[in-house]
Amino acid sequence: MKKQNYIADAWLVILLSLLFGGGLAGVQASLKPRIDANKLGDTLSQIPALVPGSTRGEKADAGEAVVYKALDAAGATTGWVIPASGQGFADRLELLIGLDATGGRITGLYVLDQKETPGLGDNITAKAWRDQYAGKATDKPIVVRKTKPEAPNEIQAITGATISSDSVTAIANAAVAKFRTDLAGGGIH
Amino acid sequence: MSNDGPTPLERFVQGIIPENPVLRQVLGICPTLAVTNTMEGAMTMTGAVLFVLVCANVLISLIRGMLKPHLRILVFTLTIAAFVTVADRLLAAFMYDMSKQLGPYIPLIIVNCIIIARCEICAAKQGVWTAFSDAVGQSLGFGLALGCIATVREVLGFGTWFGKWLGWHVIPASIPTDVWSPWVIMVLPPGAFLTLGLLLGATNWMTARTKKA
Amino acid sequence: MDYLATILLLAISTALINNMVFHFFVGNCPFIGVSRKLDTAFGMGAAVTFVTTIAALLSWLITWAVLAPGAPLTTWVWHLIRPDAKGVVDLSILNYVVYIFVIAWAVQLVEMYVRKFFPALYKAFGVFLPLITTNCVILFVCLEIMKHVPSAGDVPDPWGLDKALIYAFCAGLGFLIAIVIMAGMREEIEHCDVPKPLQGPGITLIMAGILSLAFLGFTGMDSNLAKILKPAPTPAPEIKAAPPPAS
Repeated sequence: MKKQNYIADAWLVILLSLLFGGGLAGVQASLKPRIDANKLGDTLSQIPALVPGSTRGEKADAGEAVVYKALDAAGATTGWVIPASGQGFADRLELLIGLDATGGRITGLYVLDQKETPGLGDNITAKAWRDQYAGKATDKPIVVRKTKPEAPNEIQAITGATISSDSVTAIANAAVAKFRTDLAGGGIH
Repeated sequence: MSNDGPTPLERFVQGIIPENPVLRQVLGICPTLAVTNTMEGAMTMTGAVLFVLVCANVLISLIRGMLKPHLRILVFTLTIAAFVTVADRLLAAFMYDMSKQLGPYIPLIIVNCIIIARCEICAAKQGVWTAFSDAVGQSLGFGLALGCIATVREVLGFGTWFGKWLGWHVIPASIPTDVWSPWVIMVLPPGAFLTLGLLLGATNWMTARTKKA
Repeated sequence: MDYLATILLLAISTALINNMVFHFFVGNCPFIGVSRKLDTAFGMGAAVTFVTTIAALLSWLITWAVLAPGAPLTTWVWHLIRPDAKGVVDLSILNYVVYIFVIAWAVQLVEMYVRKFFPALYKAFGVFLPLITTNCVILFVCLEIMKHVPSAGDVPDPWGLDKALIYAFCAGLGFLIAIVIMAGMREEIEHCDVPKPLQGPGITLIMAGILSLAFLGFTGMDSNLAKILKPAPTPAPEIKAAPPPAS
């Protein structure tokens, strides 16, 4: 008798589950394109700022790696944008690095996501600090110094946020090195 | 199916200050502390809670006659989880920046004690209109509490108020840093705990005073 | 060795540095409500750790097998119904609903276990044991694991089941540490002269604020430990200039 009660009682739960399941599927179907566009737009909207001379970007064909091509109004390739991530001081950092068409120079750096210490580590998002990366050649890894940089491949750390600065540079160096190897190997179109 | 109990207007008014979910019932502390480092976060969270609470309360009130006692928590949970999913997707589609900032705290509305409590106390027992007013009242109370905390934290921690959406600098950015520099601690976890603790103390003190008078 | 280092870093980072209560603000309701007595607090912490680990195990498995984009079980079933279907099957919209039910079921399991083997503890918990379902820690851990489940979609940092379980266990451990510390302090403060408006949740939150200030001191421990445990790879040799791409 008890078993019968449970099954009879459960009809409401089952009906609700089916209704909600259908409703959620509908929500997913209608909103998914917008959400995907938002995610992609995050990256694509930064491309004109990262690679001077470009008006838009698109995903490049690079096999497993994720690479974006920066294009000008005529559709010619003006440069490349690569996402990179790694451990920062407090949590993961996500960066976008702009490179010129040959991959020989960094044209810009943008921090997509960071959870560094407010007021100290999160100054890595400041344009003035990030602009130090622009123009750096990619043949040698960038080195972080606490004092004024002397050699062309050196940048100055943020006062009080050495580890955050080191982390950004390390992530950028690794990503750029990988990109150069991929580009030289002809794997990116 | 009786409609005894507080009227819709009473439910609405009670929710704002007398039975404020955060400051009197001390429920829903997790989002209160997590999203209040900016006013935008606080208001977006309030909007999301308003949406979920209204939808859940109205639906539960409509089916309250069919709820079996031992299965009702299950039904509440299912309803709330479904509406929170909808709210989360809507936020990701139309307010992507806010969605990224609030992160996991929107889905955590599912386990927000406020919503289950309102479903249990009001929606399962009273009519649709009462449930709706209760939901709106409680959400306004929630928003009020969040707004108070967020104001203190954002003004002291960043010097702005609604800085992201309106860009109002309460403390002008031109003030030299040796006169006043932002209290970064306010936007970090300790600031949240301390602000809420002191606000609770202040609320209790005011209640005690009005009771005496 | 590298694996052990990763596990150790994950454990320390989850339990201490990004502590569930003091950094992520989850688990505050029982943290304020159940932290009056030391033994109840310890029991609650242990119960939460247990439930979190079980829930994490189930949610990782269900997400990987059924809900994630391109999940094996769902794809297989879908191909049975529509053999010529293209595209990726994605049930991830049901994630939140499934997780909360997994958690509720895990709590029921723990409740039955505690009632059978620790009846005194069961009585001491009272209504707080079923309330573990609304404990934000567990859902938060499930959501964090959801972001790292390997799938056909874009997962920047996939976690295997081992990492997920360690994360869940250490998250519970962090909650346990927090609630036990708070219980110890509250037992002391009962003998102090707390102003009336602040008694109860007020003073607890202020103490939590000072505690989280102390826990802030752990920040950065994991990146420094990482430097010691995982020595930096030898710097890459001079990279030859890349030829200009054929455009």
